[in-house]
Amino acid sequence: MSPDRLQQDLDYVAAAVRRHDTSLGVPAIYFLWAVLVPVGFALPDHAPTVAGPYWLVAGIGGGLLSWWLAVRDARRAGINDTADGRRHGLHWLVGGIGFLVCWLPVLRGAPIEMAVGNFLLVAGLVYALAGVHLERPLLWSGLVMLAAYVVLTMFALPYTWTITGLAIGVSLAWAGMSAVRAARHAA
Amino acid sequence: MATASPANPLDALDPALEHRVRLAIGVLLARHGEISFAAFKQQLQLTDGNLGSQLRKLEDAGYIALRRDFVERKPVTWYRLTATGRKAVDRHLKALQAVIASAQG
Repeated sequence: MSPDRLQQDLDYVAAAVRRHDTSLGVPAIYFLWAVLVPVGFALPDHAPTVAGPYWLVAGIGGGLLSWWLAVRDARRAGINDTADGRRHGLHWLVGGIGFLVCWLPVLRGAPIEMAVGNFLLVAGLVYALAGVHLERPLLWSGLVMLAAYVVLTMFALPYTWTITGLAIGVSLAWAGMSAVRAARHAA
Repeated sequence: MATASPANPLDALDPALEHRVRLAIGVLLARHGEISFAAFKQQLQLTDGNLGSQLRKLEDAGYIALRRDFVERKPVTWYRLTATGRKAVDRHLKALQAVIASAQG
């Protein structure tokens, strides 16, 4: 085998592997959370008592629906990557545990504002780290949440939750549209 | 199948993986687990006949296994590396590294 032939073969293999590495996520999952998040984030401002039950149902239901959409997308794409699926599952499971732990201070008598503040901090970290390790578009949603946490903690401005939810919804919808465009371009 | 630590690094290359398409199939399966025929066809930009022939050679060598399934009522063939195939890909990539290292002096 000549060095030139070896180089050409390795270039071919590297190009094939790179084509598989350009996953921008599942558009339907972004659009799902682009709807669920603004509604859920508006609740602490407008109907605080409904926020907990909403996130219990929408969080678990949305998580299960996201899992189903991801499996459907993988089967349609023809790539059944169990290691990647485990990585995603473990990330969001740890995030889910973090969200549940946020409510512990309330059980010990702390005001509900403390729990919702913690919720925003955990959500920001979970989304930003998902952007770093799993799907890059989620990084921007995570950073918006972390910025909102700082604003909420330092300034206590009115309707911070509603505005944050809308900003996250827009960033997720934008991520979804980018993923759709990338998929069309690849096809 | 390759033997351990031969004097000439080229001798360690696995003939079943020397073809670049078969090497790409092995590397993609090692990275992603299970891949369908249609996905391979799109990623490797091959005709059905060429891809089918390369996959059959790997299957005959015992390096890949297939299963048939339906996705949205359409028949889909999925491929995955066998344990022997995974070891063969690993050994072949190490041999390629040795070839490159010996060429660089």
